[in-house]
Amino acid sequence: MIKERPKEVVISLRNVSKSFGGRKIIDNVSLDIYCGETFVIMGCSGSGKSTLLRLITGAIKPDEGHILIKGKDTVEIDAEELDEIRKSFGMLFQYSALLDSLTVEENVALPLKEHTKLDKNIIRIIVKMKLSMVGLRGFENYYPSQISGGMRKRVGLARAIALDPEIVFYDEPTSGLDPVVGGVIGKLVMDLSKKLLITSVVVTHDMQSVFRIADRVAMIHKGSVVQTGTSQEIKNSEDPYVKQFINGLPEGPIDFFKEDIGIFEEFS
Amino acid sequence: MISYISKPIIEIFEVIKGVVFLFLGILYWIFFGPFKKKFVRIESIFYQMRFAGIRSSPIVFFVTFFTGVVLAMQTAYQLEKLGAAIYVASLVAISLCRELSPVLTALVVAGRVGSAISAELGSMKVTEQIEALDTMAINPVRFLAAPRFLALFFMLPCLTILGNLSGMLGGFLVGVGSLDLNPYLYIQTTFKYLELKDIYTGLTKSFAFAMIIALIACYEGLNAKGGAEGVGKATTRSVVISFILIILADCVLTGIFYFSRM
Repeated sequence: MIKERPKEVVISLRNVSKSFGGRKIIDNVSLDIYCGETFVIMGCSGSGKSTLLRLITGAIKPDEGHILIKGKDTVEIDAEELDEIRKSFGMLFQYSALLDSLTVEENVALPLKEHTKLDKNIIRIIVKMKLSMVGLRGFENYYPSQISGGMRKRVGLARAIALDPEIVFYDEPTSGLDPVVGGVIGKLVMDLSKKLLITSVVVTHDMQSVFRIADRVAMIHKGSVVQTGTSQEIKNSEDPYVKQFINGLPEGPIDFFKEDIGIFEEFS
Repeated sequence: MISYISKPIIEIFEVIKGVVFLFLGILYWIFFGPFKKKFVRIESIFYQMRFAGIRSSPIVFFVTFFTGVVLAMQTAYQLEKLGAAIYVASLVAISLCRELSPVLTALVVAGRVGSAISAELGSMKVTEQIEALDTMAINPVRFLAAPRFLALFFMLPCLTILGNLSGMLGGFLVGVGSLDLNPYLYIQTTFKYLELKDIYTGLTKSFAFAMIIALIACYEGLNAKGGAEGVGKATTRSVVISFILIILADCVLTGIFYFSRM
């Protein structure tokens, strides 16, 4: 056991399926994510893991199945209720997705301005706190185009935690970063979940960060869950898919050359 | 074979459906949003008004001024033969206010502002910024489309009035400068024949054009896909569709005004 955690399910997927252009991207996935844990979804590019994340955040609706966040079925509720749930989670996007027209400070302040009635000065203080948590004090007045990719990611993280969310989603938090910055981001993810008791859901194919940050891991292949378990269980797994993936072997059941990986996912 | 014909038709209906839903969404956020304490941001509207309106005024002035000049010269060419050169004044004023100024201003703004809106929203869409807003429970229609819609809705008629005035100025300079008309008489003739309804039918048109430009530009931007190329395509489509719809709407509205004797 890595740490004591209440065994309360926050996110629950029940038999979720989703197709794009007649091709099944997510095939009958069921998962439970517990309160306070860091849950990593790993898999090859095109395995459907990003789609799974977008299904959970409500960006797209599943064709079949149910997704429950804090007991509420996000498939069936209307847009207004979904927005209420969304206020309780933050998301770090693969390419940060900061608004280009706003400064770093305005980007982090945006959720606070939109969803709280806090005074301007208090918002400024909160923004400064969040920026110092990700080590970016002093960059308030820069625009996203003026800072590096790693810094943008950290600003995205500051924005994701601006509203003190209960759940934070990370889409490829370390991709496109050098190993050191990747390590820094990984440490930030761990710090946040330990210090603020945030439930973290991380989508990645970066094996280095998986075992560093994960409490539990799910391996996805071709839209289905191959194995779910603690990071120790996954490390010692005998499943041929998992073995091939974590060791990065070209030969094995995951046949790279025979499948058209992710074409539909990229265009949808 | 059937798919060759049916595919574009289905696409057209998709676009119409999308634009109508966008329009309803914008109206919802303008009129019902405030009851839920969700306002269209005022500072955003002013920012867009400055961009769409004030920054467009030089080019609108330029285009309509020279249209006025050309119009005066071309009509004088005919009217001088009849010894009726003074009617250049009323002809320029009426044709500008009823027709040329609203349409030319709308076309200029569609090219300048509509394309900018599509490109901006389109690149926001392909870089996940729109999805990020959604995930932060910030509605993109309220946050991005509604301010642009309102700004254009209020600024295009203002630009049209500017166009009316600058076009008439162009006509006046030609009339007085090269046709040797009495300036006092020129102004008198202008206001003798120019009626209030000429101005407000023109302004009615420009309100309609503003809605067309804003809706098409926002729709194309918010539905862009496929990276940089997709943004380029969305921008082109936005300008082309706006141009076609402006001309069509102009024809329909002119027909309505003509047959109802306005």
